[in-house]
Amino acid sequence: MATPTLGSILLGTSDPERLRDWYAAALAPGDGGGVFTEVTPTMFAGTFGDTSLLIDGRSDVAGTNPEPGRVVLNFHVDDARAVAEHLDSLRVTWLVELEEREGGLFGTLVDPDGNYVQIIQLGQSPS
Amino acid sequence: MVADPPLPESSAGARRRARLLAITLESRAPDRAAAWYRQALGLSDDDPLLTAGGVELRFTLGTTEAPNTVEPARIVLNFHVDDIRAAEARLVALEAVWVRELEHTSWGIIGTVLDFDGNCVQIVEPAPDSPPCLQRKEEP
Repeated sequence: MATPTLGSILLGTSDPERLRDWYAAALAPGDGGGVFTEVTPTMFAGTFGDTSLLIDGRSDVAGTNPEPGRVVLNFHVDDARAVAEHLDSLRVTWLVELEEREGGLFGTLVDPDGNYVQIIQLGQSPS
Repeated sequence: MVADPPLPESSAGARRRARLLAITLESRAPDRAAAWYRQALGLSDDDPLLTAGGVELRFTLGTTEAPNTVEPARIVLNFHVDDIRAAEARLVALEAVWVRELEHTSWGIIGTVLDFDGNCVQIVEPAPDSPPCLQRKEEP
Protein backbone atom coordinates (compact mmCIF):
# COMPACT_ATOMS: atom_id res chain seq x y z
CA MET A 1 0.00 0.00 0.00
CA ALA A 2 1.31 3.43 -0.94
CA THR A 3 1.97 6.06 1.69
CA PRO A 4 -1.02 8.33 2.28
CA THR A 5 -0.68 11.82 0.84
CA LEU A 6 -2.04 15.00 2.31
CA GLY A 7 -4.15 15.68 -0.74
CA SER A 8 -5.97 18.72 0.54
CA ILE A 9 -6.71 20.91 3.49
CA LEU A 10 -10.25 22.05 3.98
CA LEU A 11 -10.97 25.41 5.51
CA GLY A 12 -14.49 25.64 6.91
CA THR A 13 -15.80 29.18 6.68
CA SER A 14 -18.97 31.20 6.98
CA ASP A 15 -17.95 33.27 3.94
CA PRO A 16 -16.32 31.07 1.27
CA GLU A 17 -16.23 33.72 -1.46
CA ARG A 18 -14.34 36.15 0.74
CA LEU A 19 -11.79 33.52 1.76
CA ARG A 20 -11.34 32.28 -1.81
CA ASP A 21 -10.73 35.81 -3.08
CA TRP A 22 -8.21 36.49 -0.33
CA TYR A 23 -6.12 33.37 -0.96
CA ALA A 24 -6.21 33.93 -4.71
CA ALA A 25 -5.08 37.54 -4.39
CA ALA A 26 -2.54 36.94 -1.64
CA LEU A 27 -0.89 33.70 -2.65
CA ALA A 28 -1.51 33.32 -6.37
CA PRO A 29 -0.75 36.82 -7.64
CA GLY A 30 -0.99 37.29 -11.35
CA ASP A 31 -3.19 34.27 -11.65
CA GLY A 32 -6.28 36.37 -12.27
CA GLY A 33 -8.23 34.41 -9.69
CA GLY A 34 -8.02 31.30 -11.85
CA VAL A 35 -6.30 29.31 -9.16
CA PHE A 36 -9.65 28.31 -7.71
CA THR A 37 -12.34 26.23 -9.33
CA GLU A 38 -15.88 25.83 -8.10
CA VAL A 39 -16.47 22.32 -6.79
CA THR A 40 -19.96 23.11 -5.53
CA PRO A 41 -21.68 26.50 -5.20
CA THR A 42 -20.22 26.82 -1.71
CA MET A 43 -16.92 24.97 -2.14
CA PHE A 44 -13.86 26.15 -4.01
CA ALA A 45 -10.63 24.28 -4.68
CA GLY A 46 -7.24 25.77 -5.43
CA THR A 47 -3.90 24.05 -5.82
CA PHE A 48 -0.81 25.41 -4.13
CA GLY A 49 2.07 23.13 -5.03
CA ASP A 50 0.97 19.51 -4.86
CA THR A 51 -1.71 20.15 -2.27
CA SER A 52 -5.16 21.62 -2.70
CA LEU A 53 -6.84 24.15 -0.50
CA LEU A 54 -10.57 23.48 -0.24
CA ILE A 55 -12.67 26.38 0.98
CA ASP A 56 -16.02 25.13 2.19
CA GLY A 57 -18.97 27.24 3.24
CA ARG A 58 -20.32 25.86 6.51
CA SER A 59 -22.87 26.88 9.09
CA ASP A 60 -21.10 25.24 12.04
CA VAL A 61 -18.15 27.62 12.23
CA ALA A 62 -18.14 31.21 13.43
CA GLY A 63 -17.07 34.19 11.38
CA THR A 64 -13.71 34.26 13.12
CA ASN A 65 -11.54 31.36 14.18
CA PRO A 66 -11.68 31.23 17.99
CA GLU A 67 -8.36 29.36 18.18
CA PRO A 68 -6.21 30.65 15.32
CA GLY A 69 -2.96 29.21 16.63
CA ARG A 70 -4.20 25.63 16.59
CA VAL A 71 -3.24 25.13 12.95
CA VAL A 72 -0.81 27.16 10.86
CA LEU A 73 -0.67 26.80 7.09
CA ASN A 74 2.92 27.13 5.89
CA PHE A 75 3.34 28.42 2.35
CA HIS A 76 6.77 28.39 0.76
CA VAL A 77 7.65 31.07 -1.76
CA ASP A 78 10.59 31.87 -3.99
CA ASP A 79 10.94 35.53 -3.02
CA ALA A 80 9.53 36.27 0.41
CA ARG A 81 10.39 39.96 0.29
CA ALA A 82 8.50 40.44 -2.96
CA VAL A 83 5.58 38.45 -1.57
CA ALA A 84 5.56 40.56 1.59
CA GLU A 85 5.55 43.72 -0.51
CA HIS A 86 2.64 42.36 -2.52
CA LEU A 87 0.79 41.42 0.68
CA ASP A 88 1.36 44.90 2.07
CA SER A 89 -0.25 46.32 -1.05
CA LEU A 90 -3.29 44.22 -0.21
CA ARG A 91 -3.26 45.65 3.33
CA VAL A 92 -3.19 42.22 4.93
CA THR A 93 -2.94 41.83 8.68
CA TRP A 94 0.47 40.64 9.85
CA LEU A 95 0.81 38.70 13.07
CA VAL A 96 4.59 38.67 12.67
CA GLU A 97 6.13 40.74 9.91
CA LEU A 98 8.68 39.11 7.65
CA GLU A 99 11.87 38.50 9.57
CA GLU A 100 15.08 36.54 9.28
CA ARG A 101 15.31 33.43 11.41
CA GLU A 102 17.59 30.46 11.32
CA GLY A 103 17.11 28.85 7.97
CA GLY A 104 15.41 31.63 6.10
CA LEU A 105 12.79 34.33 6.04
CA PHE A 106 9.51 33.90 7.89
CA GLY A 107 6.38 35.99 8.30
CA THR A 108 2.94 35.20 9.64
CA LEU A 109 -0.26 36.82 8.49
CA VAL A 110 -3.89 36.42 9.34
CA ASP A 111 -6.50 35.52 6.73
CA PRO A 112 -9.99 37.09 6.81
CA ASP A 113 -11.29 34.28 9.04
CA GLY A 114 -8.46 34.73 11.52
CA ASN A 115 -6.50 31.65 10.45
CA TYR A 116 -2.73 31.95 10.67
CA VAL A 117 -0.77 31.70 7.44
CA GLN A 118 3.02 31.57 7.43
CA ILE A 119 5.16 32.67 4.48
CA ILE A 120 8.53 30.95 4.27
CA GLN A 121 11.56 31.28 2.07
CA LEU A 122 14.19 28.79 3.10
CA GLY A 123 17.88 29.36 2.71
CA GLN A 124 17.62 33.07 2.11
CA SER A 125 20.34 35.33 3.44
CA PRO A 126 19.29 38.78 4.58
CA SER A 127 19.74 41.48 1.99
CA MET B 1 12.60 21.11 7.82
CA VAL B 2 12.69 19.98 4.22
CA ALA B 3 14.38 22.01 1.53
CA ASP B 4 12.15 23.49 -1.09
CA PRO B 5 11.96 21.25 -4.14
CA PRO B 6 12.59 22.88 -7.50
CA LEU B 7 9.54 24.18 -9.24
CA PRO B 8 8.50 22.30 -12.35
CA GLU B 9 8.36 24.21 -15.57
CA SER B 10 4.86 25.56 -15.87
CA SER B 11 2.88 28.68 -16.53
CA ALA B 12 4.01 32.01 -15.15
CA GLY B 13 1.00 32.05 -12.83
CA ALA B 14 1.81 28.67 -11.37
CA ARG B 15 5.43 29.64 -10.86
CA ARG B 16 4.42 32.66 -8.80
CA ARG B 17 2.02 30.66 -6.71
CA ALA B 18 2.93 29.87 -3.13
CA ARG B 19 3.33 26.17 -2.31
CA LEU B 20 1.59 24.70 0.69
CA LEU B 21 4.42 22.55 2.03
CA ALA B 22 3.84 22.26 5.77
CA ILE B 23 1.16 22.33 8.42
CA THR B 24 1.90 23.22 12.01
CA LEU B 25 -0.45 21.68 14.55
CA GLU B 26 -0.54 22.97 18.07
CA SER B 27 -0.89 20.17 20.58
CA ARG B 28 -1.10 19.61 24.31
CA ALA B 29 1.50 16.87 23.80
CA PRO B 30 3.38 17.32 20.50
CA ASP B 31 5.31 14.05 20.72
CA ARG B 32 2.16 12.04 21.29
CA ALA B 33 0.35 13.91 18.53
CA ALA B 34 3.18 13.13 16.11
CA ALA B 35 3.13 9.50 17.18
CA TRP B 36 -0.62 9.42 16.55
CA TYR B 37 -0.13 10.59 12.96
CA ARG B 38 2.71 8.14 12.35
CA GLN B 39 0.52 5.27 13.43
CA ALA B 40 -2.59 6.58 11.69
CA LEU B 41 -0.78 7.01 8.39
CA GLY B 42 1.46 3.97 8.69
CA LEU B 43 4.63 6.06 8.55
CA SER B 44 8.02 4.84 9.68
CA ASP B 45 9.67 6.09 12.85
CA ASP B 46 13.01 6.15 11.05
CA ASP B 47 12.57 9.48 9.32
CA PRO B 48 12.64 12.38 11.79
CA LEU B 49 10.49 14.38 9.39
CA LEU B 50 6.83 13.48 9.29
CA THR B 51 5.67 13.99 5.74
CA ALA B 52 2.70 12.85 3.70
CA GLY B 53 2.74 13.54 0.00
CA GLY B 54 5.49 16.09 0.26
CA VAL B 55 3.74 18.06 2.99
CA GLU B 56 5.46 18.14 6.36
CA LEU B 57 3.43 17.87 9.54
CA ARG B 58 4.95 19.84 12.40
CA PHE B 59 3.84 19.86 16.00
CA THR B 60 4.27 22.53 18.61
CA LEU B 61 3.26 22.80 22.22
CA GLY B 62 -0.15 24.38 22.62
CA THR B 63 -0.79 27.57 24.50
CA THR B 64 -4.55 27.34 24.95
CA GLU B 65 -6.34 25.94 27.96
CA ALA B 66 -8.87 23.88 26.01
CA PRO B 67 -7.63 20.30 25.59
CA ASN B 68 -9.44 19.81 22.29
CA THR B 69 -10.15 21.97 19.29
CA VAL B 70 -13.30 24.04 19.80
CA GLU B 71 -14.28 24.02 16.12
CA PRO B 72 -13.05 20.77 14.54
CA ALA B 73 -14.78 21.62 11.26
CA ARG B 74 -12.67 24.78 10.89
CA ILE B 75 -9.68 22.98 9.39
CA VAL B 76 -9.79 19.41 8.12
CA LEU B 77 -6.80 17.47 6.83
CA ASN B 78 -7.69 15.18 3.94
CA PHE B 79 -5.35 12.25 3.48
CA HIS B 80 -5.73 10.42 0.20
CA VAL B 81 -5.13 6.68 0.31
CA ASP B 82 -5.16 3.87 -2.22
CA ASP B 83 -6.53 1.28 0.21
CA ILE B 84 -9.13 2.77 2.49
CA ARG B 85 -9.82 -0.49 4.32
CA ALA B 86 -6.17 -0.72 5.37
CA ALA B 87 -6.28 2.92 6.47
CA GLU B 88 -9.45 2.22 8.43
CA ALA B 89 -7.84 -0.77 10.12
CA ARG B 90 -4.94 1.36 11.31
CA LEU B 91 -7.34 3.90 12.79
CA VAL B 92 -9.38 1.21 14.47
CA ALA B 93 -6.20 -0.26 15.98
CA LEU B 94 -5.38 3.23 17.19
CA GLU B 95 -8.84 3.44 18.82
CA ALA B 96 -9.48 6.69 16.98
CA VAL B 97 -12.79 8.46 17.59
CA TRP B 98 -14.91 8.28 14.45
CA VAL B 99 -16.92 11.33 13.48
CA ARG B 100 -18.07 9.70 10.25
CA GLU B 101 -17.70 6.03 9.51
CA LEU B 102 -16.54 5.07 6.03
CA GLU B 103 -19.12 6.17 3.56
CA HIS B 104 -19.44 5.86 -0.20
CA THR B 105 -19.94 9.28 -1.76
CA SER B 106 -19.88 10.60 -5.29
CA TRP B 107 -16.29 11.66 -4.62
CA GLY B 108 -15.14 8.32 -3.31
CA ILE B 109 -15.04 6.55 0.04
CA ILE B 110 -14.56 8.96 2.92
CA GLY B 111 -14.25 8.54 6.67
CA THR B 112 -13.52 11.09 9.39
CA VAL B 113 -11.81 10.70 12.75
CA LEU B 114 -10.52 13.04 15.42
CA ASP B 115 -6.78 13.24 15.94
CA PHE B 116 -5.05 13.28 19.30
CA ASP B 117 -6.06 16.92 19.86
CA GLY B 118 -9.56 16.75 18.44
CA ASN B 119 -8.83 18.01 14.92
CA CYS B 120 -10.79 16.44 12.10
CA VAL B 121 -8.81 14.10 9.88
CA GLN B 122 -10.37 12.52 6.82
CA ILE B 123 -9.21 9.51 4.88
CA VAL B 124 -10.28 9.55 1.28
CA GLU B 125 -10.07 6.91 -1.43
CA PRO B 126 -11.06 9.07 -4.38
CA ALA B 127 -13.48 7.86 -7.01
CA PRO B 128 -12.05 7.74 -10.55
CA ASP B 129 -14.35 10.55 -11.65
CA SER B 130 -14.00 12.77 -8.60
CA PRO B 131 -12.78 16.35 -9.17
CA PRO B 132 -9.03 16.70 -9.87
CA CYS B 133 -8.48 18.40 -6.52
CA LEU B 134 -9.63 15.22 -4.82
CA GLN B 135 -7.61 12.80 -6.88
CA ARG B 136 -4.79 11.03 -5.19
CA LYS B 137 -1.39 12.41 -6.08
CA GLU B 138 1.69 10.26 -6.11
CA GLU B 139 4.53 10.99 -3.74
CA PRO B 140 6.72 13.67 -5.31
